[in-house]
Order: sequence, then C-alpha cells, then structure tokens
Amino acid sequence: MSDTGLDTASIRRDFPILKREIGGHPLTYLDNAATTQKPRAVIDALVDFYEHHNANVHRGVHTLSEEATALYEGARVKAAGFLGACDPGSIIFTRGTTESINLVAQGWARQNLRSGDEILLSEMEHHSNIIPWQIAARETGAVLRYIPVTDEGLLDMDEAGRMITEKTALLALTHTSNVLGTINPVADLIRLARSRGALVLLDAAQGVPRQPLDVTALDCDFLACSGHKMLAPTGIGVLYGKPELLERMEPPSGGGGMIRQVWREGADWREPPWRFEPGTPDISGAVGLGVALDYLSALGLQRVQAHEAALTRQALRGLEAIPGVTVYGPSGGVARGGVVSFNVDGVHPHDVAQVLDEVGVAVRAGHHCCQLLMKRLGVAATVRLSFAPYNDAADVERLLRGIGRVKEVFGDDGEQKRALP
Amino acid sequence: MTESKSALYREAILEHSRHPRNQGRLEAPDARAVAHNPLCGDELEMMLALAEGNIRELRYLARGCSIVIASASLMSEAVTGQATARAAQLGRAFRAVIEGRAEALPAELAACAPLEAVRQRPSRIRCALLPWEALADCLSEDGDREAGG
Repeated sequence: MSDTGLDTASIRRDFPILKREIGGHPLTYLDNAATTQKPRAVIDALVDFYEHHNANVHRGVHTLSEEATALYEGARVKAAGFLGACDPGSIIFTRGTTESINLVAQGWARQNLRSGDEILLSEMEHHSNIIPWQIAARETGAVLRYIPVTDEGLLDMDEAGRMITEKTALLALTHTSNVLGTINPVADLIRLARSRGALVLLDAAQGVPRQPLDVTALDCDFLACSGHKMLAPTGIGVLYGKPELLERMEPPSGGGGMIRQVWREGADWREPPWRFEPGTPDISGAVGLGVALDYLSALGLQRVQAHEAALTRQALRGLEAIPGVTVYGPSGGVARGGVVSFNVDGVHPHDVAQVLDEVGVAVRAGHHCCQLLMKRLGVAATVRLSFAPYNDAADVERLLRGIGRVKEVFGDDGEQKRALP
Repeated sequence: MTESKSALYREAILEHSRHPRNQGRLEAPDARAVAHNPLCGDELEMMLALAEGNIRELRYLARGCSIVIASASLMSEAVTGQATARAAQLGRAFRAVIEGRAEALPAELAACAPLEAVRQRPSRIRCALLPWEALADCLSEDGDREAGG
C-alpha cells in the first residue's frame, strides 16, 4: 500500500502486461501520457462483448441488438457520471480527443465563427488542439492567438487576462500539459472567458485520467478526452458539449443512424448525441471505456491524483540530483500532473529513451506533438515520463538507475564530460 | 542484459557520434539539401563540393541523435572522392540493407556495418537513413541542374 492509499501491488496484478519482461528486465512502463495499459477487467469486457452480446446498436429489435444497445448507452451514462455531466445526451462518443476537437472545429466553429473573431490557444497546446483551429480559421477568417508560456512552464496569466477580450469567440486550452504536467488554472480562465462572452473548450486528454473533473462545476462548454489514456481501449473517446450548444450544432459528417428522416433533397437530424455519431460506432470500445471508468472510480481519482503527485515528487527529486539533467516545467510546490519532461546534457532524447528501453524502462522521446512548446523551451525534443495508477516507487528508482546507465554509455568520454556543467 | 555496450551503441557508433568526421559547412556548395525527420524534429543539412562528376568534399550540420550523427560521419568518409553516380548507388544499397531488403553492404560501406543494428529497431531506421536522404536529394538536385543545362 502506498502512503497515498493506493494498493499498487494489488493494482499491478490487474494488468496482465506488467508481467512482461523487456530484454530480461521487468517492464517499467512510464509512457502513460501516450497510452495506458489495460486492466484485465477491460480486456475481459471486450471478449465478453464479442462472445455474448455482439450486434449493431440502434438497428434491430432482436435480443442481441437490444443488449448491445443497452451496453453502449450504459457506457454513455457512465461517462456522463464520471465527468459530472447531468445529461448523457451531452456525451458524444468519438475516436478520441483529436476527433472530439475536430468535431467542434468543424461543427461549431465553421458554423459560428466570423471573419476577425479570435480563437485563443496557448503555446503549450498539443498539435491536436492547434491544427483543427488553423483549418477552421482558414475557412472562416477567424484569427488564432496564443497565450504565452512563462520560463517556468506556466501560462502567463497576466497576458491571458489581456488576451481574452470581447473579440474572443473561443478559448481552447489544455487542462494538463502533456509535456510539462502543468495544470492550468482552468476554473479562473473559464470565469474570465464567460465574463467576456467567449466559449471554452478544454483538451482534457491528460487531465481526466489524473484528477477528478466535473464539467458542470467547471462550467466549460466543451471537453475532449480519450479512453485509451485512462485504461480503456484505443479507438474510443468522448466529446462533452453543453446540451444547448449541441442542439444548435450541425453535424460535420453524415451517415446512417443520425437522421430522423431522409428525403431526396435532404434530411433532418436526430437529437444529440446520435446526430454526431454517423455510422456504426466503436461499440466494444465504448463498453470497454465504461468498465475502465468503473475501475478508475473504484480506485478513486483523488487517490490516483495523490499517488501520481507522490511519484512525481520522487522523480523530480531524483532527476534534479543527477548532474547534467535538465527538468522542464513547474518546480517545487507548484501543482502538476504526473508528467515530467527532461533532457540529459549532450545526449539526444532518442538515445536516452533507447538506452532506458534496454533496461526495460519505456519512456517517450520527441517533440510530443508540441512543436510550439519545444520552440518556447528552446529544445528540439525532450524525454518524457508519465504515470498511471499501477506505477510505484520501484518504477521511479529503475528509471533513475537507467539514467545512470545512459551516462555510462554516452558520458565516458573526455569530450562528453567537458559538455557537463 | 550484460553490462557490455548495447547492441545498437557499439563503440564505432559512439566514437563517430562523439567525434563526427567532416562536420561543418561549405561556403559555396555545388549542391545542398536538408532532410527532416518529422517524428522527432531532427534535421540534417548536407553540402557537397563537386568536381568532374566526383564528390570532392562533403560537409553537414545536424541536429540529431547519435545514430544520425554516426551515420552522417561514416557516410562522409565512404562517399568523399566517389563519383556522384556511385555515391547514389551506395545510398540505394545502404537503404536496401538497413530496410532488410538486402543482406550485404557494398565493400565501400564496410565501416557502416554497425548501423545494421537498427534493423532490430525499426523506429531508428529513419535516423540511420536521414543523412543518406539528404545526400540523395543533393545528387538529384545536381542531376536536375545538369539536366537543365
């Protein structure tokens, strides 16, 4: 039992893949911001669905179709509950955060933005919360603006206060940075945006798995997240939208299952959320998501948050004690999610990640789909570690020992040593 | 795993990545090309001085991992002095081996053999090929120019 109340030994037994060895070393999986591993319950739910309940949804009167529909819509109710949404109709199933944001950019934005309207983003956004707005801006004549990031890796709140104006149509902002772990003061920003008439979309791909979030309390207009970053299968995600916005929103793509009636010249749409789910959805994925949310809820998001915060502190302390390691993002005392980026002086992040892999430690190296933030940090790439509920102190120790090995492989040369401070 | 150097980071690769040969800039190159790896943001600029159909001098500037740097360094030693047509052939032969479509490297590329280890690491194949992509671009640019008179 960790001192934050999560029984990691027991949790680890729920994740079959954690028994794997990589090159003779126990798997130390620290790439959870990319995708998490899946618990037995989720894997079993997929098999159970296909073995016992598989049919299309909303299509048939036969028993299996009724069961599949009940499971699919049951997952929607669970997702609504998990996110604090009052109305399951405000939960649209998508393929993931990227598709969720694109749905708003192509559905809401194209319909509502006028030339000169401003879409406000930040320098720490993932490309999936930049490119859809660049496309929407090109189509509508809207203007993109970016809230700057401070040297410490925080949003510049003074600038944010100046940049949110009556011209701002939408603030689209990450809840938790996928590179720095920075948790943005979204409640304050939503209030500010609201007072100036702007809507707010939260990219909560990293936020939802790491702390309790409540869309009703936050009063955000849209929230996007991915199942696969919170123990669910790949291919399923969620867009939450305020019911009154979804009601007026046109579907950006069309197909079966989304219409009331079709005539030669046109059709009229079903109500949300089905209006936005043309074609056969990822039914088993949604079922798996529902089970994953049950699993996370049983652990308790508050406990998950405290657990990841403890591991993050341990990692920051350990990394900062290694000469030649630079850690990015908020330091000492500032709240941050379980994501840490760093570099080892004179060693390319790819090489760091490769040597870590050779001792069984899986981390991410690259620009993390955040080239604007990389430019702001003045680096081409970083090494990133990120936590999930099954990680423990031993994982962090193996990572830190692995960095010792990186320095052994790359640092045993005079030239290299001179590069160190 | 033993405490020996890893399969990918053989001494030859580490040595070239620490002390890259022919790194730098040519002031008035006859051919120049930049290759990018969009997956990681790595970038390599290649510059050639040509004389009578031969690569007289080759220089490069790279922002990349040890594999990119070592590959560029090893390549620079292998193709300097070669006829441009032969250098292009060597590039195709290197790619074929690294991508697992051929087994044996040409004799001129014997020193590049440690890079074959990336065959076990598909995510790093692009790193080993990046300098060769830049070289191929240089040579095709040169070809275009010659073709265009």
